[in-house]
Amino acid sequence: MDVLYKQIRIISPSKKVPQKKVDLLISKGIIKKIADKIKAPKGAKVLAYPNAYASIGWVDVGAQCGEPGYEHRETLASIRAAAANGGFTSVIVSPDVQPVVDNKAQVAFIQSANKREAVSIYPMGSISVQGKGENIAEIIDMHEAGAVAFSDGNHSVQSGGLIQRALNYAKTFDGLVYNQPNDESVSGDGQIHEGQVSTMLGLPGLPNLAEELMLKRDLDICAYTESRLHCANISTAGSVDLIKSAKKSGLLVSASVPILNLCFDDQALGQYDVNYKVFPPLREAKDKRALIKGFISGTIDLVSSNHQPLEEEAKKVEFPYADFGATGIETLFPLLLNLVSDKFTLADIVEKLAFAPRRVFRMNTPEIKEGAEANLCIFSPSEEWTYEKSNIKSKSKNSPFIGQKLKGKVFSVYNNGVLVEN
Amino acid sequence: MIKSTLSSKHLLGIKDLNVQDINLIFETADNFKDVINRPIKKVPSLRDITVANLFFENSTRTKLSFELAEKRLSADVVNFSSSNSSVKKGETLLDTVNNILSMKVDMVVIRHPAQGAPHFLSQHIDANIVNAGDGTHEHPTQALLDAFSMREQLGSLKGKHIAIIGDIKHSRVALSNIFCLQKLGAKVRVCGPPTLIPKHINSLGVEVSYNVQETLAWCDVANILRIQLERQNIKYIPSLREYALHFGVNKPMLDSLDKQIVIMHPGPMNRGVEISSEVADSDHSIILDQVENGVAVRMAVLFLLASAKDESQL
Repeated sequence: MDVLYKQIRIISPSKKVPQKKVDLLISKGIIKKIADKIKAPKGAKVLAYPNAYASIGWVDVGAQCGEPGYEHRETLASIRAAAANGGFTSVIVSPDVQPVVDNKAQVAFIQSANKREAVSIYPMGSISVQGKGENIAEIIDMHEAGAVAFSDGNHSVQSGGLIQRALNYAKTFDGLVYNQPNDESVSGDGQIHEGQVSTMLGLPGLPNLAEELMLKRDLDICAYTESRLHCANISTAGSVDLIKSAKKSGLLVSASVPILNLCFDDQALGQYDVNYKVFPPLREAKDKRALIKGFISGTIDLVSSNHQPLEEEAKKVEFPYADFGATGIETLFPLLLNLVSDKFTLADIVEKLAFAPRRVFRMNTPEIKEGAEANLCIFSPSEEWTYEKSNIKSKSKNSPFIGQKLKGKVFSVYNNGVLVEN
Repeated sequence: MIKSTLSSKHLLGIKDLNVQDINLIFETADNFKDVINRPIKKVPSLRDITVANLFFENSTRTKLSFELAEKRLSADVVNFSSSNSSVKKGETLLDTVNNILSMKVDMVVIRHPAQGAPHFLSQHIDANIVNAGDGTHEHPTQALLDAFSMREQLGSLKGKHIAIIGDIKHSRVALSNIFCLQKLGAKVRVCGPPTLIPKHINSLGVEVSYNVQETLAWCDVANILRIQLERQNIKYIPSLREYALHFGVNKPMLDSLDKQIVIMHPGPMNRGVEISSEVADSDHSIILDQVENGVAVRMAVLFLLASAKDESQL
């Protein structure tokens, strides 16, 4: 089926000046024509949205899926629907499912439907066998099967020796090792960021130290092995400084920050709101400011949804018993719009969501031009909508934003010849 | 106009109370203290009110104290105890409580090992909730009875120096005491080994000391806390012996002061660890007064919450 988008503005980091509105016709998955006005071919689906922009499809750089093993939380199908609702045509998923993605068969399974779906799912392979943090998994094999990076997911690699071997070994194919820094011997049974709020709530704290200690270690090992490291989901002002100086000294380092940490601080937890119990934890206002500054200046390359789907039973319990995590893939874009200023424009958002992730993870970057394969996200920064439980596409509903009015909406994505309308 | 109701329908923590609330509870407790010292110790104030005491953690004195307070107010009382958490038992806390509430219970007194458990309940159920201790968060009635007992000894607490000595990190009494005493204008200092003091406690406006002798010299009241070995998953102190030697309060320390200070302890005491028997049984100590005042203060809290409920139903 042909698809005709009417009166959209094509936006990319190199096209900062507001572009004029054009029509864009897709036929059999290929962008057939871009022109001021295109007459709809017979049988074409015509889509017109108010104040609509078109960017290449976005990439989420760190979502948790539930399949296999935790299908009650999220399936590959439901994360596709949720991603499309959020504007993403590519999702990089964590390997810590059950069984852990630690071999090429598992890597192949995660990607198996990619060619026929609008949203492609790219697995990270596990650094360690069964994600146990002990022995290195078959990462060359997984790389050849399509794994885009290597990580133990939510389990930060505690052993310095293991991360050293992984970084060293991945040099075989110039691979990317992805680790979320958290020294568990320091963070212990911490529940929220360690500070005034944790003290007032009587909750054990997660000190900045736990993150920064491991980040320092990872950066030292990265310098030693001279290989590519992604410091995932950093959350403290100190971490921003560490990344900044590592980049300055020429390390092959990239970093990401979860969207919630760019938008909230630990004051959100004052009434034990479990939906803000996330990992890394929401930190203090000064951390949030440093993260925003680092993100806009480019010290932090990427923003992640840190999408952690959880069933109601994992959240509707006493605070210390609740699991960490919030969904986020469907609400990332409206939240990110909060950062827009004269220093951070809509084109910069597109750079952060569509272009930077493909550079870091070495994925092909599609183009919006006649003859190219269509991989598109159609959105408006001004459209208002309410995030209702009934229109959540994720299987899980552990979002702090249910019932809230949001500004900024994705109308549609198109990829692999498949159209998804939200 | 004299304030006659509390500003909240629950007592979740001292954090949520204002000074008027605290003073109202004290004035009401004064009256009830008279009542329980009369030959007939019972008043009909809570007739037709059913109170459920839900104790998801072991307790002897708090549970007894609440039960006595309820009975002296003529409430109907049901008790539920489980040393296992609801999660381990397979039934969620909400299900457990909803089951009990469907038997028409008006007030819930809850002790629970999880911080925020009473807050969680208050968001999901209708009854008045009294926090009888939630993990390492708050124990509001203990703080009220502590401050009430100090007030009996010292009069106004404004400008008084109160030291809380011991395991601050694992104590809900410490946090509630800090909030309560600060609201009443006292200066608060916490003292103990650094591993048992939360790093950011000074953000609450309290002084921090690691020196017990020096702290005893500073204070008017020393509230000595129990070492909460049962809440320590890992070792924060090497041994009870070393703790007793360096952080325990003993008689020679008190004798060396040039003033008489008040000694308190919320119980149960580890005699010979944080407090020596000589100190616990000395005339400095008001530990048994605290227990007596506990019943009067809890009667006041229950009475005030129940009367707030009555008014809201008119």
